Amino acid sequence: MLSPAGVPGMTLAIETSGLTKTYNRRTRALDGVDLQVWPGEVFAFLGPNGSGKTTLMRILTTQFRPTSGEARAFGTDVVRRGSEVRRMIGYVPQETSVWLDITGRENLLIYSKVYAVPKDRRKGSIEDAIQAMGLEEVADRMVNTYSGGTIRRLEIAAALLVKPKILFLDEPTIGLDPSARKAVWESLTAFKGECGTTVFFNTHYMDEADHYSDEIAIINRGRIVKSGTARELKRSLNGEILRFSRNHKQEHYQTHGQNGFDEYAVKKVRELDLVRDAAVSGSLLEVYVDDGERALPLVVEALWSEGVTFDRISTARPTLDDVFLRYAGSCRSGRGGDGG
Amino acid sequence: MTAEDSLREMLAMIELELRRLRHDRTEIYTRAIQPILWLAVFGTVMSEVRGIPTGGLPYIDYITPGVLIQSTIFVSVFYGLTIVWERETGILKRLLVAPASRSATVVGRSIASGVRAVVQALIIFPVAILLGVKFIPNPIYITAAFLVLFLISGGFAAVSIFVASLMKTRERFMGLGQALIMPLFFASNALYPIEMMPPALQYVALVNPLTYAVDAVRGLLISGDLSGLAVDVAAILVFDVVIFAVASVSFRKIIE
Ligand SMILES: Nc1ncnc2c1ncn2[C@@H]1O[C@H](COP(=O)(O)OP(=O)(O)OP(=O)(O)O)[C@@H](O)[C@H]1O
Ligand SMILES: [Mg+2]
Repeated sequence: MLSPAGVPGMTLAIETSGLTKTYNRRTRALDGVDLQVWPGEVFAFLGPNGSGKTTLMRILTTQFRPTSGEARAFGTDVVRRGSEVRRMIGYVPQETSVWLDITGRENLLIYSKVYAVPKDRRKGSIEDAIQAMGLEEVADRMVNTYSGGTIRRLEIAAALLVKPKILFLDEPTIGLDPSARKAVWESLTAFKGECGTTVFFNTHYMDEADHYSDEIAIINRGRIVKSGTARELKRSLNGEILRFSRNHKQEHYQTHGQNGFDEYAVKKVRELDLVRDAAVSGSLLEVYVDDGERALPLVVEALWSEGVTFDRISTARPTLDDVFLRYAGSCRSGRGGDGG
Repeated sequence: MTAEDSLREMLAMIELELRRLRHDRTEIYTRAIQPILWLAVFGTVMSEVRGIPTGGLPYIDYITPGVLIQSTIFVSVFYGLTIVWERETGILKRLLVAPASRSATVVGRSIASGVRAVVQALIIFPVAILLGVKFIPNPIYITAAFLVLFLISGGFAAVSIFVASLMKTRERFMGLGQALIMPLFFASNALYPIEMMPPALQYVALVNPLTYAVDAVRGLLISGDLSGLAVDVAAILVFDVVIFAVASVSFRKIIE
């Protein structure tokens, strides 16, 4: 990856080094995060539940301090010069952040005052934000009559009032149906095209990271385990995936503890020469190999010798889902097992 | 962050409350029922009994200031609930990313609740007149009384923010809110003179900010006796400053 010194005169939009955060002296939510986001980029921060995505975003948006490490937004230290940083960012938290018992336009008006939009520009900013997020028709209705997708667009609109240099979105489309998700992203993409704002978003939807981001980082247990463009990530799993599945009913899929693949057998597969890695998710065993035709017999033999049975084998080229499962998924199924 | 940013956020929070009230006033009406019952039932009955030395005032007149204050305090204490709710939602997180200082957020929300509480009192005021309570018809006195109401309920809003930062869930907070207000109400001079209380309770009454607020409002609205006003207002201001500071510090706990 390029170092900031690689492009003289270019300031990174976001830069962190060795960032850690420990809650209550016990929970280590971030465990040494180094991150670089270039100006104008759409950056997807991908990770399973509880991996530390929200924690990182709350530090970057100056809500609390990291336990150690540094973070800068356009060269400005987010800890020491928080108030300057606050002036250049927009932020949409994971949870609902508008008042439901007033109208959409009133929400924007209150937020424009809270965010210190100058009086003479207030009206214009509100109109721009309403337009950017396609809220013209609903702006004067009470927010408690909105659908989930519309509320989300209103929240993003409120973050656009200050014309931010960086827009932070914490799981912007969580809980939305596919068409609402699409509407949110279409509005965002259009806004982005016009203003060139850097967008940093958390998600656990692979397809969103794939479609809408320029760059992706995958976080697991407070550490960035992989980063790059969607294509780079997929290519990093070059070769093939052998999928061994068991024909279990849906509910068994959830409780893979008893019905999944034996940890020891998986470990044995992982140690085979032609195998790059193996991961279990539910009743599915995924084996990453360079050459499927040669590796398959060996893997089958290893599994059989451990008494492991399966109903079906298929092969596939990696998708971003596979990248995610490989870097963030395997640790979840192997909880307490391998550390990395 | 500048003082201007902080002031702007406070004003925005007041505006928010007024806009909310404009859209939906039912809460303010339902909250008026209990204090009106205090006046109409308790006050009227006890006026007949004449068992409590009120310094020559009809008993219903005597308790009106206390009831007004109790109803405003209810509003502001339950305001802490809004803060707990806003923590569960993302609103609080978002306010933290605004240019204003953290204490401006605390003070701003407290003041906004004070405004809401004064609106609450404005509803009970005419009902009291209908029930025959005789207020001193002096606009300056009345304005000053509402200012006292505003100051005391702003302070109690800060109390509730402080309590909210200790309680992590809404349910616990609800219980505590109830358990806090009624004892304070009874351990003040709202319903009877302090001299009538058992000695131990008298000490409680002396450090109870409600006592001073009731005394001030009673002087301004009913009895016209302003001899204690300076001490009362000073006591309320001290209470406000201390509790705003405590709430601002404890607010940090809500954040993480
Ligand atoms: N306020 C807090 N106090 C204590 N622990 C916390 C707090 N917030 C988060 N944690 C813990 O820190 C870890 C990371 O949480 P975080 O919310 O950053 O994850 P996340 O990636 O955003 O998860 P999700 O996808 O569920 O939103 C979790 O183990 C969580 O339980
Ligand atoms: Mg999160």
